[in-house]
Amino acid sequence: MKLFWAFARQHFHATALYRVDFWLRVASTPILMYGTRWVWITLYTQRPGAFGVSLQQMVTYAVLSMAIENLFYTGPQYYMAQQARSGAIDADLLKPLDFHFHMLARSTGEMLFRIIVIALPAMLVGYFLFDLQLPATLQTGFLFVVAILLGYLVNFHLEFLLGSVALVTLEIHSIDWAFHATARFFSGQFVPLWLFPGVLGLLANILPFRSTFSTPLSIYTGVVTGGAVTEAIGFQMLWLILLFIISRWLWERVQARIVLQGG
Amino acid sequence: MHVIQLYFRLIQISLLSRMQYRANFIAGILGLIVWNVINLGLIGIMVTQFTSLKDWTLWELVFLYCLWILGHSLYSLFFSHTRQLENYLIEGTFDQFLLRPASPLIQLLGRELEYIEIADMFIGLTGISLAYAQLGLHWDVWKWSFFIIAIISGTIIVLAINLLIACSAFWTGRSRGTFIIVSPFYSLVHQYPVDIFGNAFRIIVSSLLPVAFMNYYPALVLLDKVDHASSGWWLSYMSPVVALILLGIVSGVWRLALRQYTSSGS
Repeated sequence: MKLFWAFARQHFHATALYRVDFWLRVASTPILMYGTRWVWITLYTQRPGAFGVSLQQMVTYAVLSMAIENLFYTGPQYYMAQQARSGAIDADLLKPLDFHFHMLARSTGEMLFRIIVIALPAMLVGYFLFDLQLPATLQTGFLFVVAILLGYLVNFHLEFLLGSVALVTLEIHSIDWAFHATARFFSGQFVPLWLFPGVLGLLANILPFRSTFSTPLSIYTGVVTGGAVTEAIGFQMLWLILLFIISRWLWERVQARIVLQGG
Repeated sequence: MHVIQLYFRLIQISLLSRMQYRANFIAGILGLIVWNVINLGLIGIMVTQFTSLKDWTLWELVFLYCLWILGHSLYSLFFSHTRQLENYLIEGTFDQFLLRPASPLIQLLGRELEYIEIADMFIGLTGISLAYAQLGLHWDVWKWSFFIIAIISGTIIVLAINLLIACSAFWTGRSRGTFIIVSPFYSLVHQYPVDIFGNAFRIIVSSLLPVAFMNYYPALVLLDKVDHASSGWWLSYMSPVVALILLGIVSGVWRLALRQYTSSGS
């Protein structure tokens, strides 16, 4: 565990050094918050209290979703693909930390950096400028954080699986495209899942993607309360366990097949 | 004439070098199509649940979205690498442009062809055709001409704005930051009619960063949504004028930039 945090810390610092773009993205987030807030205000004038969700809850959902936008996609698959292509992955395999946990440490360092540098300032901006409400109770706030962390872990494993596939195919961009497009649609990041009709709604509720945005945001805004919260968090855990097992299984197989390129 | 010949020769060369990777080409096209279908799908879900977005119906929003894509696809097909100008400046590639006996601007513009953007054009045309049928539009010759002019104006507007931003690298060394800042404005105007936003936003995207002239204003004309009683109705017809003004500004700035350019050295 100590080793894990050493790797996480190392990547945290590496990220902090090189990411000027990220600071700029902080500046562009308020514009998106402003935009989505108006979209929902406009929609709600036509149908106030749609689906039993108040405008205030909906605006909080949308603005908060912009604030946490960058938390989840830490991109271990790019690192894995790049290391495989350059042949440098042999050095990663020699490290004193299991590769899967090494990737998790890297991503965690990255995510913590993004929380501190992007999400927290963006939430403050949302609070002061765009009607981002505080969670109803301290307990709700705590459950939100738990759901965010689980969402992050679920998403990390999806990305790790992509990366494992990329180690064999040596091609990441097109599968990554498909992944991001699907996640964008089914995560509830832009349009909350309770608006999804029929089969789409059913699909969104079964797939793991809702763990990232929909679950934490629904808990935070109080759209999901009481026993449903436990259920939603249980759903995240179930997917996490499943994806963890698949990741270990696939990694064992991929590791044996890694072809070192270059020289 | 010579300049145009040269431009197409450069494009041909870049195309040949890109076509070596056919699998990437197909995957890229599929990716763009899926991406846009998903974006439209999200807007679709939102609007059908709420019946409309202010007075914009689903197919009017599809029209708005695709009008942007059409103007933008011509830009990204031929000119999207203008964003790379800062790298050319830093790496000294730009010095090569200056050494060759041809206009540096033509060399910059002719450097690449993002042929994957053909997919965008396909999406734009499909979306507009569907919207045209669904909305029961019947344009006369005048409207069809305005449609074509609006697309070309859109291309010029986004090219001019992005080239202006890229040119800022001549003075500041970096332009990527500005691109990051303006991109949310682009994505909001692309997807939503600007009249749902507050006044400050509408003024910005109609003056300082006039991207609303790429889709919103011409769409008002083409969808018969111009409110002639309002004081700003004439803005709806201004896309070509805005495009010409921007073209004038950008050519002036480009000349100014070249005159004071000093190489990054080494």
